[in-house]
Amino acid sequence: MAVSTIYSTQALNSTHFLSSSSSSSSKQVFFYRRQSQTNRRFNTLITCSQQTIVIGLAADSGCGKSTFMRRLTSVFGGAAVPPRGGNPDSNTLISDTTTVICLDDYHSLDRTGRKEKGVTALDPRANDFDLMYEQVKALKSGVAVQKPIYNHVTGLLDAPELIQPPKILVIEGLHPMFDERVRDLLDFSIYLDISNEVKFAWKIQRDMAERGHSLESIKASIEARKPDFDAFIDPQKQYADAVIEVLPTQLIPDDNEGKVLRVRLIMKEGVKYFSPVYLFDEGSTISWIPCGRKLTCSYPGIKFNYEPDSYFDHEVSVLEMDGQFDRLDELIYVESHLSNLSTKFYGEVTQQMLKHADFPGSNNGTGLFQTIVGLKIRDLYEQLIANKANARAEAAKA
Amino acid sequence: MATMATSLNIATQRVLATSDTRPVRLAGPVRLNNPWNLGSRTTNRMVKLKPVKATPEGGISDVVEKSIKEAQETCAGDPVSGECVAAWDEVEELSAAASHARDKKKAGGSDPLEEYCKDNPETNECRTYDN
Repeated sequence: MAVSTIYSTQALNSTHFLSSSSSSSSKQVFFYRRQSQTNRRFNTLITCSQQTIVIGLAADSGCGKSTFMRRLTSVFGGAAVPPRGGNPDSNTLISDTTTVICLDDYHSLDRTGRKEKGVTALDPRANDFDLMYEQVKALKSGVAVQKPIYNHVTGLLDAPELIQPPKILVIEGLHPMFDERVRDLLDFSIYLDISNEVKFAWKIQRDMAERGHSLESIKASIEARKPDFDAFIDPQKQYADAVIEVLPTQLIPDDNEGKVLRVRLIMKEGVKYFSPVYLFDEGSTISWIPCGRKLTCSYPGIKFNYEPDSYFDHEVSVLEMDGQFDRLDELIYVESHLSNLSTKFYGEVTQQMLKHADFPGSNNGTGLFQTIVGLKIRDLYEQLIANKANARAEAAKA
Repeated sequence: MATMATSLNIATQRVLATSDTRPVRLAGPVRLNNPWNLGSRTTNRMVKLKPVKATPEGGISDVVEKSIKEAQETCAGDPVSGECVAAWDEVEELSAAASHARDKKKAGGSDPLEEYCKDNPETNECRTYDN
């Protein structure tokens, strides 16, 4: 809850000087103006007990970040829309609770600059991590910032937009976990790990209809970007609290259509306020085919797997779904067998999936796990806020 | 009681609305490293308020097509050079932008309310009733 109290001794007028002091629990921002002749000060004091939690989402371009964002903001409730009356090419989405900012806005080199220097957008040299850190830190401590806008159509940096500190700040893009300082600001982080086969299939789907594109051009683009992707983007997954891996199915032998997917949700153990989802028995190894006598599934069926594992030397739980849902009763049957989903009522996962049935991946593990991660983040936010409130109450007692 | 958002909006609107020629000076953590903005800090703020022009959507397909041709030409000489890689990266960026533009168009067509209701069917303005 962002509660601010304003003590105003004078209407705000003319030029304002803005300064702020921060402490761990509250934020005070002073607006005052100086009158040049008399040098009198009029103070406005704003005290805020704002708590912004910061979520990082990393993935390559064309790997489903936008879809994930739409699912996430939907779970948090409210409408996520671009800033009203702002730049129509703004990359920001704002809802009552959540603001999603795109880290491409922190490109230090515009399209021409990258071309001249021969660096890709994946290259850290094309990005201003100092500014990214300063602004995410400012927002986290409750201070609004003027964030640049990278215009994806023109390839230029447009005039900045004002971003207010939200309850939940999501930073999505290529490098949310690349810089250690930014990484340390994240309360939760997610990496979308799309295998090469699926990436290729998705980009064919996305681009084949586009004039000028061919299988060769799509392949050439993926291959040209791969060294930078492997060097700068892929290593970030070791820092993620949750990784969604998307792989070709194993249900159809030698399938390379990329239509049926095997999706793995890798959840780090021991993350504060995040307790992994499990199937039947927490910590066991379970292989489950829900289709059989009780539930009839269409070809090629659905297969689940759940097991403890290790991922970059971290203890993790892995939930895997291979195949896709073709009927509603398959989805609700699966949901009823998963535990620790952080839903608020029975069937909430299914309801969310149905609400956005037209989004890509709504019938497979990508949609299911994105929805689940959304619920887990909502839960994390609520726990964090409750904990803060308790701490404040304790402090007041003492 | 007021929300943080409201109070900051007051300040911002004041800054934007004033035609004062004195520069806006920000101190403390708010004064961030804004390289795009350094030159304009000393100018009249009204000048900065020019309307932002939307880029025509139809044009992006041409730009994608052109970028692919350019990438193919750049890479013909040296397929591993930085220029070649950067050119294909530009193709990716533009293809993604074109896809987003298509989604936007498809989602709403000409009706922004329909587009909004697709993402937010539960809101009051999007409910439909039988009788």
